[in-house]
Amino acid sequence: MILNMDGTKPIYLQISEWLEREILNGNFESDQKIYSQYQLAEMFTINPATAAKGLTLLVEENILYKKRGLGMFVSNHAKQIILNKRKNQTLKKLVLEIVMEAERLNVSREELIQMIQAVNVEEAGE
Amino acid sequence: MMSLSRISLQEVVKKQYSYKFRSYIQVFLSLVFIQMLGILFSFNGVGMAGTSSSTFEIDIHFYSSDIVVIFTMLWAFITSILITTQAYRNDDFAFITNRLSSNLSNMLFLLTISMVGGLTALLSSHVIRILMYVLGRSEYLYTTTDVSEWIIGFIATVLYILICSAVGYFFGTLVQLHKVFAVLLPVAFFGILIVGAGTMNETIIQEGFEFIFKETSLAIFIVKIGVLAALLFTGSALMSNRMEVR
Amino acid sequence: MNIIECSSLTKVYGAVKALNNLSFELQENKITGLIGRNGAGKTTLLKIIAGYYRETLGEIKVFSEKPFNNLLVSANVMYINDQMNFPTALNLKEILNVSSTFYENWNHELADRLFDYFAFQQTQQYNNLSKGMKSTFNMIVGLSARCALTVFDEPTTGMDAGVRKDFYRALLKDYIDFPRTILLSSHHLDEIEDILEDVLLIKDGTKLLHIPVEELKEWAIGVQGSSAAVNDWIKNREVIHSKNVGLDRMYAVVKQNGSESEIQRAKEAGLAITPISSSDVCVYLTSKNKGGIDDVFIKD
Repeated sequence: MILNMDGTKPIYLQISEWLEREILNGNFESDQKIYSQYQLAEMFTINPATAAKGLTLLVEENILYKKRGLGMFVSNHAKQIILNKRKNQTLKKLVLEIVMEAERLNVSREELIQMIQAVNVEEAGE
Repeated sequence: MMSLSRISLQEVVKKQYSYKFRSYIQVFLSLVFIQMLGILFSFNGVGMAGTSSSTFEIDIHFYSSDIVVIFTMLWAFITSILITTQAYRNDDFAFITNRLSSNLSNMLFLLTISMVGGLTALLSSHVIRILMYVLGRSEYLYTTTDVSEWIIGFIATVLYILICSAVGYFFGTLVQLHKVFAVLLPVAFFGILIVGAGTMNETIIQEGFEFIFKETSLAIFIVKIGVLAALLFTGSALMSNRMEVR
Repeated sequence: MNIIECSSLTKVYGAVKALNNLSFELQENKITGLIGRNGAGKTTLLKIIAGYYRETLGEIKVFSEKPFNNLLVSANVMYINDQMNFPTALNLKEILNVSSTFYENWNHELADRLFDYFAFQQTQQYNNLSKGMKSTFNMIVGLSARCALTVFDEPTTGMDAGVRKDFYRALLKDYIDFPRTILLSSHHLDEIEDILEDVLLIKDGTKLLHIPVEELKEWAIGVQGSSAAVNDWIKNREVIHSKNVGLDRMYAVVKQNGSESEIQRAKEAGLAITPISSSDVCVYLTSKNKGGIDDVFIKD
């Protein structure tokens, strides 16, 4: 329920990311109705228009669909779309950052790959 | 679009008027205080005549509520100045109002307190009588008045108080308009008093006063005071209509 | 539908222009933050909107009518600031009762619940309240009146952090229940930005920005790196703040132009890109000079 209110990331993005996480976690099934802008506004103490913008973003990405007068629902391939998006956008960006930082530190590609392989996900947890 | 509340001037004035009755309690408390003070002063009597011979001595004291009426006039004058001050005006603007409704409700309020003040001032003569009797001061006679006389007295008293109040409201508004009037008005008042008394050349002012106040016909007196009070109140309302508040 | 329309609004006090050619429109049912530094003209603007002050030049319309001396405006605008005046003869409960007689949409249940929640006593006198308690009480009146245009001028003066949080949440919840146009002035944008839809930023009586608050968050970016690289990169860009850091390093804040390739170029040039919070954007835009307070201490 807690957004990262550090004042730098737009809230509507945080809202859409939070909703994506809810869908990935299985809290919402396909064709299930998702929170309205007012519910979200209430939950996070944010302006309803901001919440609406977060929802609209997900509609544009086909993660949600609109039923006129009824609200917004999770689309069939929502999970897949989110996973693809995260892989192609978020993860790629992170990789780029890592590679650039490695170059700055004169870390070779091989060394970097070794470092990645050495990371124990189980231990780090999420 | 959310529907807007539409409220008529009349409604606002009514609401402001009843709001003032609730919130200006001090005004009535000060009235009670000032009239008690007036009664106290009245014990000396407003007039005295005496005669004596070698065997007896007669002192006649006249008691009346005149002092109470004069005190009440002063009270109305000061109260009226007081309610033109910023603190009171801002109380109005805490809720729905414009300058006109604020002025109109003030005038209604002042008219009401003039009537209350007039009534209690006249009734205070009874208090004085009762106190005289209780205190057992010598032999004591009193004049009776019939109802019509009493009503005339009441109306005249209320009008005297009302005109003081109108003048106070006008002065107060002038001072709110510009602080310089706070100095100018008293100076002018006492200046005229002193210079006028010194030179005996106060014809216009004196005539003006006599024209208004030395009126023997009640009907004409009502008209004169009514017109004068209306002029003063209207002047005040016009002057303050463009004033900035809060 | 515009609730407020103002064009070339100017207000002059003696030789000072408190408002200078200010033009903007405020749409219905939005929560807008009026942001500016002390003396920027926020209160003057709000008091003109409420019909207390008269404009010197220009035009202002509230509900399509001139607000000065206007009963319609008075009946539908609630203006709350930290210098509210209530009659000394009335206790807190009586003030609420009087308020309820004036305002058509007054929600007495809400007023009572808030009154109890914030632990007010019926017989308390307004003038004996602490500054924070006064602000809290004003807030109760301001919310419960449910006026079509509700104006809060620095509403949280003196409130402690807990009450401020409660206030923003109460404001938002009641806004969801009963949507209306709300104008909130503050110099702490970071505190109120979450509940805002738009921000109106003013400086010296003039409008600097009037945009959705979410856009304000992406309005500017900060770059840091060697002075040469930073200076090269910020060429032809709108710089709103710059500062030398250490010997040969520099930090600059520029207006975002949405070009991903330029960001990429900056990163390749070894510049660190940082987001700029909306409240920092406001501080930089409204400061008198680009270096801020540091300029005062520059020695030749």
